[in-house]
Amino acid sequence: MKRNKGMIIGFLAPAVIMFLLVFLYPICRTVAMSFFKIDAVTSTADTWQFVGIGNYQKLFTTDIFKTAMFNIGRIWLLGGIIVLVLSLLFGVILTSGIRGKKFFRAIIYLPNIVSAVALATMWKQYVFSPKFGLLKGILDTLGFHELAKTQWLAPENVFWALLFAYCFGMVGYHMLIWMSGIERISPEYYEAATIDGSNKIQQFRYITLPLLKGVFKTNITMWSISTAAFFVWSQLFSSVTANKATIVPAQYMYMNTFGGGNAVTERNAGYAAAIGIILCLCIVIIFTVCNAVIKDDDLEF
Amino acid sequence: MAKENKIKTKFNLKKELKLAPGYIIIILWTLFIFVLLGWILAASMSTTADIFAGDALKFPTGLHFENYIQAWGSGGVQTFFMNSLLYSLVSCVLLVLICAPAAYVLARFTFLGNKIIQTSFVSAMGVPITMIVLPLFGVVANMGILNNISASKVTLIFLYVGINIPYTIIFLLTFFANLSRTYEEAAAIDGCPPSKTFWKIMFPMAQSGIVTVTIFNFINIWNEYFLSLIFANNDQLRPVAVGLYGMLESMQYTGNWAGMFAAVMIVFLPTFILYLFLSEKIIGGITGGIKG
Repeated sequence: MKRNKGMIIGFLAPAVIMFLLVFLYPICRTVAMSFFKIDAVTSTADTWQFVGIGNYQKLFTTDIFKTAMFNIGRIWLLGGIIVLVLSLLFGVILTSGIRGKKFFRAIIYLPNIVSAVALATMWKQYVFSPKFGLLKGILDTLGFHELAKTQWLAPENVFWALLFAYCFGMVGYHMLIWMSGIERISPEYYEAATIDGSNKIQQFRYITLPLLKGVFKTNITMWSISTAAFFVWSQLFSSVTANKATIVPAQYMYMNTFGGGNAVTERNAGYAAAIGIILCLCIVIIFTVCNAVIKDDDLEF
Repeated sequence: MAKENKIKTKFNLKKELKLAPGYIIIILWTLFIFVLLGWILAASMSTTADIFAGDALKFPTGLHFENYIQAWGSGGVQTFFMNSLLYSLVSCVLLVLICAPAAYVLARFTFLGNKIIQTSFVSAMGVPITMIVLPLFGVVANMGILNNISASKVTLIFLYVGINIPYTIIFLLTFFANLSRTYEEAAAIDGCPPSKTFWKIMFPMAQSGIVTVTIFNFINIWNEYFLSLIFANNDQLRPVAVGLYGMLESMQYTGNWAGMFAAVMIVFLPTFILYLFLSEKIIGGITGGIKG
């Protein structure tokens, strides 16, 4: 053991030092910053003015921040339902013994490796285009000429356009998580159920779903983490000025500190820090609630 | 164990008919993905006028590869592309060199703090970037290197490496934990020091895990947006994701839609080519199908 000490330290040191510099120190400093009024993000600590929870109070009385929280909440809840249901459906179909499983799986996952900027551009400039858009084309072909004229990117529709485009890109990843869970369920359960005369839907309801509880937890956690980082899509769908329909906390924070735009009345890096803390707390709360409600560690990842 | 070695089942009409609703849903979804990507590819080789006339798929004026040449050259994609390549490749190498030894030590040795370090890395994977970006920017800005091109490139690589460390370590840790201990025992009996055992025996044995995690890191860093947006404040520094965003903004005003789609394709291609050859490995890596 003694002679390994040098090696352990030597092997761990670079990673731990990087971790302290990139994660631990910034996290602690962000927590501290959220309790101060700070003119610019580059201001040194001696120019900070302590305001207690003033930044948080101010944020929750700022309309645009409340809108941003409402939007991210909608994306998390509605998008979460859409993505988790669709990905589970695809996962179940792909594991039901269809041909070309690997091919379909690879294609459905494909959007996940595309740069979000490129993917969002494809949706915004092509699918939702009012002139040559795919959606317009499909609706026209099906005979819904009135619906085809919809301006998908108009202020009243843009949130939904954004949500569906984002969900489309996320389905593949969650499908893979579901599939790995489904494939771990022993086929003997299904054989026994078939002998006892239960049909496919009953088997899904009484065997697959209960055994996927742990995987469900993984899915919710991963979905929450990616939602907290939601930024690119809003920026692409709303261009330079803040659009009330699509603004999210990360975007508001970016404007508050680095950007400007029309959303910011008073520059204060303390707000930005508080936004970071609030997003982080949301993830912690979701994670804790999930762990308390879903108790199943049989299918851990 | 993980792979089922089923003998190819014979075509059974009754069984296939039962699965028909499933086939229909899956085929519609994949068809949509094909149309989306296929149309973008077609549009990138068309002209703006043809796109607006709805003839992007008919190529009435032939194929226009000059869109690519123009986007690559005067559009500035070349600089962004080379930057991204540099950032991704250097970061991936550094990540392996930093994380593989750390993951090995964490997986193999019991010592005070092992558990805490592992828990810290796992928790860090859930920390949103918004939580750490402000102090990082403060430090970098106060160092006064934001106007120095090469210093900024080093900073960017440092950050890309830093934020991907927790994930890379946790991934490799599971991998090393699954490798058999017998090799190390044999090496120890022959008098090989543990650090040499790692570099000569365990590191090469972990090759497939290292390749998988490197593909993930490459794709992540290639597509990274938020950090690049904040720290790369100059066209000479920008990677593709941020560069593309800037180009999109300007191309909307110049009205060069074909050029815009060509730029989108150039950004999309490297990760797509990787995926084309390595999709099985990538998918296996996500679902934790690590075979030791």
